[in-house]
Amino acid sequence: MFITVIQALSEGFLETLKLFAVTLVGALPLGLVISFGSMSRFTPLRWLSRFVVWVFRGTPLMLQLIIIFYVPGFVLPQNPWAISGGRFWAAAVAFIINYACYFSEIYRGGIEGVPKGQQEAGQVLGMTKSQIFFKVTLLQMIKRIVPPMSNEIITLVKDTSIARIISLQELIYAGYAFLKGSHGYSGLIWPLFFTGVYYLAFTGLLTLLFARIEKKMRYFGG
Amino acid sequence: MAVLQVENIQKNFGKVEVLKGIDFAVEKGEVLSIIGSSGSGKTTLLRCLNFLETPQEGRITVNGETLFDAADSHTLSDAAIRLNRLHFGLVFQQFNLFPQYTVKRNITLAEGLLAKERIKKEGSYNGYTDYREALAAIDQKAERLLAEVGLSDKQDSFPCQLSGGQQQRVAIARALSMEPDVLCFDEPTSALDPELTGEVLRVIRELKAAGRTMIIVTHEIEFARDVSDTVMFMDGGVVAEIGSPEQVIGNPQNSRTREFLARFNER
Ligand SMILES: Nc1ncnc2c1ncn2[C@@H]1O[C@H](COP(=O)(O)OP(=O)(O)OP(=O)(O)O)[C@@H](O)[C@H]1O
Ligand SMILES: [Mg+2]
Repeated sequence: MFITVIQALSEGFLETLKLFAVTLVGALPLGLVISFGSMSRFTPLRWLSRFVVWVFRGTPLMLQLIIIFYVPGFVLPQNPWAISGGRFWAAAVAFIINYACYFSEIYRGGIEGVPKGQQEAGQVLGMTKSQIFFKVTLLQMIKRIVPPMSNEIITLVKDTSIARIISLQELIYAGYAFLKGSHGYSGLIWPLFFTGVYYLAFTGLLTLLFARIEKKMRYFGG
Repeated sequence: MAVLQVENIQKNFGKVEVLKGIDFAVEKGEVLSIIGSSGSGKTTLLRCLNFLETPQEGRITVNGETLFDAADSHTLSDAAIRLNRLHFGLVFQQFNLFPQYTVKRNITLAEGLLAKERIKKEGSYNGYTDYREALAAIDQKAERLLAEVGLSDKQDSFPCQLSGGQQQRVAIARALSMEPDVLCFDEPTSALDPELTGEVLRVIRELKAAGRTMIIVTHEIEFARDVSDTVMFMDGGVVAEIGSPEQVIGNPQNSRTREFLARFNER
């Protein structure tokens, strides 16, 4: 019995990891694009970016998942999610947009948090804009965003379980199946509880990783 | 001939007129101090000279070359402005050292980048065709500059490990690294504890002895009297009085200068 449960949970965990990784790969760069939009000097673009951020941070991720998964089937001639793995990609799209909005605010805080004087010091030394960004501002910005980013990324690990609402077979889904009945078992509660071990192990690993990154950048005060 | 000639600089932020036509000239090796009450436009003037602000009117000429002319759009391009900045250095009130780099790297960073760029584009920098040789020379210069400001033993420290006075001396060395024709200081000791101002003022005195051309915005009236060849009193965006320290500080003619100095002496 134990082997069967572990196998099923590990399959679920793999799905969880996949959603986690795809979300990061998509949301980290998209968030930067949105943050540039929300700092743009072009007012319509700034408003649009801030509106999008407001909508996606202001509504539950669960609702966004449901809308993104079900609505295209009603309004489009062909349901884009009616492919193999369609559920996963619907979840990925919702997670990427949602997390990009959170990340964009963290980036914005990081960029705006570097004192103006740093840029000006580079300017009066005759450095170009790109030299100033890459050699002066970037590392200071990264240092500032690591703590809030690590928070958000650890939240993402656990948020992946929300994808269960569109029947994505992630870790919690896999655990719950033993309660509802599957693999010839039903009414088993411990597999569901046991999923916590997976989450703890993974978030523990991430915590160690982020602590190392923070320590690496502790040598400079700014 | 004057190193620096400033003519009719006017700067406004929206409706606020901050500089209302500033004219002055600085000779080679001359030290000009600018005094004046808060909000009179001293910082804005230095920022215009370093092209951090663009004046609406006026002209800035260095060694006979017109760097900025509000009426000539050629002088307003990003590339032109970047080259023009090399004629000036600016030491900030808040030091603005780069926290992630050592003291020495703070000093060599900008020139290293310039050398790399020039060697790539033009084949040589200061006679060096090899980037590594150029860097070695830049490194040596940084060590010389650090010796000049008395911080040879701190070259591998990070800014956060230094006192305010030491940080400001590094900032001075950094500004000198680009060999500016005119070195500007914006209240270089205002962010320092009183017991640390002395070491920074001493370095500025030594720079004067070495013949550097400097413009110093300061609230240290006694220092200004002592180190300057010329003192300029600014009031409400105009030059209210300019002349020798004996004249402007010792025997001011303008009533606003007298009020300003009287308020100073009360403290
Ligand atoms: N970026 C800006 N936008 C709008 N107004 C500005 C800006 N920079 C400066 N000012 C205004 O210009 C005026 C002169 O400012 P400035 O900083 O040049 O004065 P200052 O003589 O250096 O004063 P202090 O002795 O306090 O440093 C002030 O009224 C200030 O509010
Ligand atoms: Mg000022």
